[in-house]
Amino acid sequence: MKFFTAALVAGLSLGAGTAFAQQDTAPKGNIENGKKLFTANGCYQCHGTLGNGAPLTGPRLSNTQLPFDAFMMQLRSPANEMPPYEAKIVPDSAVADIYAYMQSLPASPNAKDLPLLTGMGVK
Amino acid sequence: MDKKTSDQAGLHRRGFLKGVAIASGSGLAVSAQAQTPPAAPAQTKAPLPTAAQTAAEHEAPAHVEALTTEKTGSDFMVDVCKTLNIDYMASCPGSTFRALQESFINYGQNKKPEWLTCLHEEVSVGMAHGYAKVAGKPMAVMMHGTVGVQHAAMAIYNAYCDRVPIIMFTASAGPVEDRRPGVEWFHSVQDGAATVRDFVKWDDYPWSLQSFAESTVRGYGLATAQPQSPILITADGKLQEMELDKHEESKLKIPKLTIGTQTVGDPAALKEAAKMLVAAENPVILVDRYARSQAGVDALVKLAELLQAPVVDSRSRMNMPTQHYLYQSPRGAALIAQADCILSLEPVDLFGQLNRVRDQIERTWRHTTKATTKIINITTHDLLVKANYQDFQRYSSADLQITADAEATMPYLIEAVQREIGERKSMFDPRGQKMRDAWKGFAARSHAEGALGWDSSPISSARMYAELWNQVKTEDWAFLTPNNYSGNWQHRLWPIEKHYQYIGGSGGSGVGYEPVAALGGALAHRDVGGRLPIAIIGDGNFNMAPHVMWTAAHHKIPFLAIIQNNRAYHQEVMHIQRMANRHNRGVENAVIGTTITDPNIDYAALAKGYGAVGIGPISDPKELGAAIKKGVEAVKAGNPVLIDVIMQPR
Ligand code: HEC
Repeated sequence: MKFFTAALVAGLSLGAGTAFAQQDTAPKGNIENGKKLFTANGCYQCHGTLGNGAPLTGPRLSNTQLPFDAFMMQLRSPANEMPPYEAKIVPDSAVADIYAYMQSLPASPNAKDLPLLTGMGVK
Repeated sequence: MDKKTSDQAGLHRRGFLKGVAIASGSGLAVSAQAQTPPAAPAQTKAPLPTAAQTAAEHEAPAHVEALTTEKTGSDFMVDVCKTLNIDYMASCPGSTFRALQESFINYGQNKKPEWLTCLHEEVSVGMAHGYAKVAGKPMAVMMHGTVGVQHAAMAIYNAYCDRVPIIMFTASAGPVEDRRPGVEWFHSVQDGAATVRDFVKWDDYPWSLQSFAESTVRGYGLATAQPQSPILITADGKLQEMELDKHEESKLKIPKLTIGTQTVGDPAALKEAAKMLVAAENPVILVDRYARSQAGVDALVKLAELLQAPVVDSRSRMNMPTQHYLYQSPRGAALIAQADCILSLEPVDLFGQLNRVRDQIERTWRHTTKATTKIINITTHDLLVKANYQDFQRYSSADLQITADAEATMPYLIEAVQREIGERKSMFDPRGQKMRDAWKGFAARSHAEGALGWDSSPISSARMYAELWNQVKTEDWAFLTPNNYSGNWQHRLWPIEKHYQYIGGSGGSGVGYEPVAALGGALAHRDVGGRLPIAIIGDGNFNMAPHVMWTAAHHKIPFLAIIQNNRAYHQEVMHIQRMANRHNRGVENAVIGTTITDPNIDYAALAKGYGAVGIGPISDPKELGAAIKKGVEAVKAGNPVLIDVIMQPR
């Protein structure tokens, strides 16, 4: 049981993405394997099939700005509602693969270039 | 005629004379036939004796049984219902109310109420649930004795939790000596409402026609008094089928229906509330099951503007226009955390709004407000609380609890606040400016989020709502379903201005609400005319009652149903996943018992099979706009339409 990490992780990971530069220490992961693991481990159920995030279930992970350590920490000791993934289920190397896959995804289009989106609600 | 026969004949004495007259001409059945035990139980299907044979077996008849009659108890029951201005009676057929059904469609000329055919009692009740929220008045439902009520139970629970009025009837097959062996016993019940008593406001089993009239009118009044709720009347089979002669009828009186005024908060409490609100630096208005009319919406806008106070809407109804700068739901959590005074209007779950419970092995919870925050709660909650089902949610104290209907109270609260503000009319302008600034940021944030996965297949919820908007923006659209499982895009970007454009959710989270409430809501919109009703229905939800498409086709109820098809009971996928993670077993098996794949269901084919228009499946976002365009055209031509859209889990 973990009583102590939540607050710490919350400070590290939530909404703080852009505050961190990507660390050079991130292990080199296998993108293809990461893609498989992202589905097999059910990450997509809350974060969308492309890690695009869903407003009520899980934030965006694609092109994450989180440093690898914070990414890993969120799996091991989630900040809040996310179910924990221990190393027995998703080993460190698998986290690295998922991380690499998330980094590899093409950036989503800029909202400004999507008139259909910015026109939503405009009469 | 022995005593028993004479008692049995009781109500039919006038029929006796008429019967003689008919019998003398036709040689038809005599009373003795009624007493002759059947040669074998009905189930054996032994041939029945002909009338002539039966007559020949007996000597001069002492009594000639009436086989037809002009007016029955069930006709009177229709007379009663007609005084209540009820437009529809939804029903899946059942023999316990055969007399009533026949009376409604023939004697009552199938008008006010018009009989609607549903293919399951859950649809009858659920459609009445959706209907009442759009029409602003209840419709009626007829359910088969025992089994019909059992089928309907979950939908009744949803409507009860959502505090929506429905006039419900069930039936029972009268006294034991009148029952046919077998089925009529299975469908008879001493206490027909017992199954659902915990979640109806009131019920009755009237034992006379006079009592039926009084109970039905009383029931209507109770159902529509705040907090509203379904009520249930059991129509006894003998009362329904008994002959009603002119003399008996002349003694019956249908009481006049008077709808009572609703409870309003007392002036002293409202004055105190006004003082607290005006004195507050950071007041917040929390609103949930508050508005049941446009007047309620307008009044809330007025109060919010007077105070320049943000409104955080939990969306059990359409309460506050989403394009108003004081609609501040997107930053609700932050506002609640900073508030020094909270005005809560008809909360469904005040505890949940003011606290957070963490779903990990250890269920920790914490207040989301400051310890000093003052809470004013205007609610009808305390006027309808029962013991067993826990829909009342966790207890949450208020500093000022005003037991009253918030919508009816609002004009008086506004007056009290105006008095308290007096000449200082512009005192809150700086606060208003802050709200305007914050509001401007909402759209940009939503756009940034909506762009994520824009071209993904399965299609993202933002993309689906954007494509939909593009096709319906010039229509008088109205949503029939909630959107918390599809990103809340309507509330984030659509201009929801009119009360009828959004009707909240199921109330009790009973899965299956979406298609059935959509059907009823669409019916109410159809009667107004010129509107485009839209339902976003999860595939799991739709599977509880796909045959709503048939009822819609049959009764010509047009609406656009978009199946948000994630091929799963996705909420449950996430729950099982959570447990699997918690138990350290990996999540591969979370799909067992939760997903709806292998084979995938062809929803468009299903819709077509029920006589509706079916489109899809659409999994390429680039094809979605054209599919919706086609669907909208078909709805405008009067059809119920289903579009199957393969979508992201959420
Ligand atoms: C049941 C839903 C659920 C599942 C499954 C899930 N997550 Fe999460 N995830 C969340 C939620 C909710 C958050 C927000 C923080 C919190 O509540 O703990 C989150 C946050 C995160 C964050 C932090 C993002 C940030 O920018 O702060 C990362 C990283 C993450 N998840 C990775 C994963 C990975 C990788 C998987 C699969 C191995 C996964 N999640 C599976 C719900 C989920």
